[in-house]
Amino acid sequence: MRFYFFLFFLATPLLSLFAQGDTLQFLNEVVITATRQERRLGNVAIPVQLIQRKQIQQAGSMRLRDILQEQSGLQLVAGFGAGLQMQGLNPEHTLILLDGQPLIGRTSGVLDLSRISLAGIKRIEIIKGPSSSLYGSEAMAGVINLITDNGTKPAMEASLRYGVADTKRGWGVPFSSQNLEHTEADVHFSFKLKKWVVKQSTNYLYADGISYRPFSQDRIPRPISRFTSQTILQGPVGKKVDLRILTRANQDQFRQQFAVQNNGVTTASFGRELNNELVFQPTVTYRPSANLVLSTKAYITQYVGDQQLRFSTPVDSIYKDRFEQRMYRIENQVDIKKGTTTFVAGAGIQLEQANSTRYDAFTSKKENSVLYAFAQWDVKLGDKWISVIGARFDHHTLFSAALTPKWAIRYQPNSRLSFKGSVGQGFKAPDFRQLFLNFTNSAAGGYSVFGANQAASVIDNLNRLGQIAELKPDFSKLSQLRPEFSTGYNIEVNYNFTASLRAQASLFRNDINSLIDVRQVATRIDGSQLFSYLNVNRAYTQGGEIGVQWQLHKAWSVNFGYQYLQTADKDERGRILQQKEYIRDVSGSTRIMKIVDYVGLPNRSKHQAQFKLTYESSADRFVHFRVLYRSRWTIANNNGNTVHDSQDEFAQGFVQVNLSAGLPINSFLAFQFGIDNLLNYQDLFYQPNLQPRTVFIVARLKIPSKQHP
Amino acid sequence: MRIILVIVTTVVFCFGCTKDKLPIVVDSRSFDIQSSGNVTTVRNLPADTIIGVNSIGQPVGSGRYSFFSLERGQWVPQADSATNRWDLAFAGTTIRVNNQTSGPGLGGAFVQVGTFATLTAISADSVFRIDNHPVSYAIPRGSGRAWYTYDGPTNLLTPIPGRVLVIRTATGKFAKVEILNYYRGGVTPSATAPDSIKIKDQRFLHFRYVFQPNGSGQF
Repeated sequence: MRFYFFLFFLATPLLSLFAQGDTLQFLNEVVITATRQERRLGNVAIPVQLIQRKQIQQAGSMRLRDILQEQSGLQLVAGFGAGLQMQGLNPEHTLILLDGQPLIGRTSGVLDLSRISLAGIKRIEIIKGPSSSLYGSEAMAGVINLITDNGTKPAMEASLRYGVADTKRGWGVPFSSQNLEHTEADVHFSFKLKKWVVKQSTNYLYADGISYRPFSQDRIPRPISRFTSQTILQGPVGKKVDLRILTRANQDQFRQQFAVQNNGVTTASFGRELNNELVFQPTVTYRPSANLVLSTKAYITQYVGDQQLRFSTPVDSIYKDRFEQRMYRIENQVDIKKGTTTFVAGAGIQLEQANSTRYDAFTSKKENSVLYAFAQWDVKLGDKWISVIGARFDHHTLFSAALTPKWAIRYQPNSRLSFKGSVGQGFKAPDFRQLFLNFTNSAAGGYSVFGANQAASVIDNLNRLGQIAELKPDFSKLSQLRPEFSTGYNIEVNYNFTASLRAQASLFRNDINSLIDVRQVATRIDGSQLFSYLNVNRAYTQGGEIGVQWQLHKAWSVNFGYQYLQTADKDERGRILQQKEYIRDVSGSTRIMKIVDYVGLPNRSKHQAQFKLTYESSADRFVHFRVLYRSRWTIANNNGNTVHDSQDEFAQGFVQVNLSAGLPINSFLAFQFGIDNLLNYQDLFYQPNLQPRTVFIVARLKIPSKQHP
Repeated sequence: MRIILVIVTTVVFCFGCTKDKLPIVVDSRSFDIQSSGNVTTVRNLPADTIIGVNSIGQPVGSGRYSFFSLERGQWVPQADSATNRWDLAFAGTTIRVNNQTSGPGLGGAFVQVGTFATLTAISADSVFRIDNHPVSYAIPRGSGRAWYTYDGPTNLLTPIPGRVLVIRTATGKFAKVEILNYYRGGVTPSATAPDSIKIKDQRFLHFRYVFQPNGSGQF
């Protein structure tokens, strides 16, 4: 059976050509995201962080957010669910992929990671730094790629988890049970049917939430019930031709019940949010020779989000919100290998559609189509150098095209030491919301937000009707939105002290131009404000990371990671340097702000670290202890000036401790116990996604392939 | 709940009726005026403090102003509101100067960007604005316009650092004023504080000023 390893883009013999006797096991792990083809980790010029299935299981993660928050340099930010901040960039700038294809269904640019199930995910690959040269829009900060199982061995595994959280602090009552409980059931099996391999993963999760919290601003853990089913069918359809079809369906439902107090009036809201996601991804791979791989991928995905809220004031008023998004894509890729040079090229066409009650009319379908082509040339220069040059061209019908190049280089003077460096461009095309939003909030004084494609004509019309009191200077700047661009620089040093102790240090910098921001463009005669989107801001993020992995003993290992982060809005920083910003001293008197008072972009922690200690005598007998730290971050600019400074409102820094342990009973059955948030750190306002101390137990039943019928 | 509020309103109004010379709610324990050199600091000056909520839930005061004389450094009784004995009148975020629609004096004002300490002379080409109640005021009202910003999500009002109110007094002399805080005790409540605290403790003004008695615009 030649398809023993079902490889997407690269034939097995290719791998052996690269092999040069590395003694370090981890370097042999295969990654795909860095180059769009399967390569050994020891042979890519771009740093890749890997999370294996075993790690996900040992951590007891139920959702993508659970495992990502334990990774070095990744921070979760609250607001529109749990978003991911990478290298200090906003969630909308990190691309989340499933087998190399983007997951859709973002709200205000945030893909809520608490929705995304880990069912059927074999490993997670993380690339930091601009990756638009391979993946196009949104890959500005980096890429998270969820890789599904590629194996062909029949297997069966089922697990059941139950957990309960500590709710003593009195921050409301659990939504539907006495205790803040959760239950998760997961079944995974694969079998062979003649030449075909069928893999089925099913997951159900119910996690209770909190139903009421006074003075809340809609920030509470919401109860979620989620069902995920993933089916993979793979096998040969001809000589040297393989077919793989991935189908994934996910339904999640959040319920909510919260109360907002405004000016002494309490408004209770009851609602539900139902999200349906479908992914269909067939791939045909043709390998005419060992040096040539041709593949064709189709990708169809749909996201439907439906939200209904019922308010107590005015009595029984209902708010409905529906968002539908679809993406159709077909792409071809060719991989050519000649000597020590690999050449990858591809082209694709993509159609994206969206309807929303928040656009001018739900029935009006918004469309954008993209033509794209990419190429990457990966060459080995002598024994010590690898150079990768790539670029991608994206042509959008809705706005100007984007060309994003990237160059990465690796220098390995000896088997212990290696250097990696890269410079690349990233971009994010304006999304439908920024182009077509037509949203009016009549509460809280009233305001409207119009997408950039609508704003000028809508406001001109209102003006003709005498509805506009004032046009702001930014009104004249309204124009077709351009993509946001960034340039990223990354360097990394790796040193392997021994086969069991290795360390990395890296530095990064991202310069971001033409960031899209919401600005007030006009005022209505009733005083309500009208906003739209403009390319205005310039910002940078920079910092460094350190990582140490140490296998202390056969069974014990230590893993440490730390990230230091600095960010700034370049215009704000310029105003402070020109002494145009003010701040108050302790007595309340004003003084000119100094640059040390400036904290940069909101929602960013300067320091972040994690320490992991693992004891593992077998895959099933383990203790996994994690300490996560995040320093304070600023929430709101509430001292009257226009920049975020050291006197503003901060969320406190915190330490979270998670502990889990596995105990095998026999070769079929294993139990796992865990306590998440052992110290019971809680921050009701700024960390709504952080559950109180939670104790859980998992029973896992495995039928190894031999015993399987 | 509403009944209680009505009672409270009535009581406060009656209190106001019988002791006409007192402003509505003067918290005599904390309202104070202190001078150090030529700078006078006023703390906890009640400026039409909240007495309840209206029918649509907005907090309201009784609608009365607190009058203040920069020249004499003291609070001025309401009975003197039609004289030029006061320079500034405070009610919530509204600050009025003694001229035209607000009073018989020579008052005027404008807002200058900069620090209190570095404003040592009023530039010769300065234009003093006057009140045109209720359309416009010498010191404009509204978030982000003159001396404060109001944040809707947190319901908090914050004086903007680096804004100095340049005042022409009722008698035509000059003063510079910096608003320091808007809340009782001089500490803005935390963004996460309950609304009840934010409502109850607001409209207590803290400010400092320098009055130039010799009639020049030098401080």
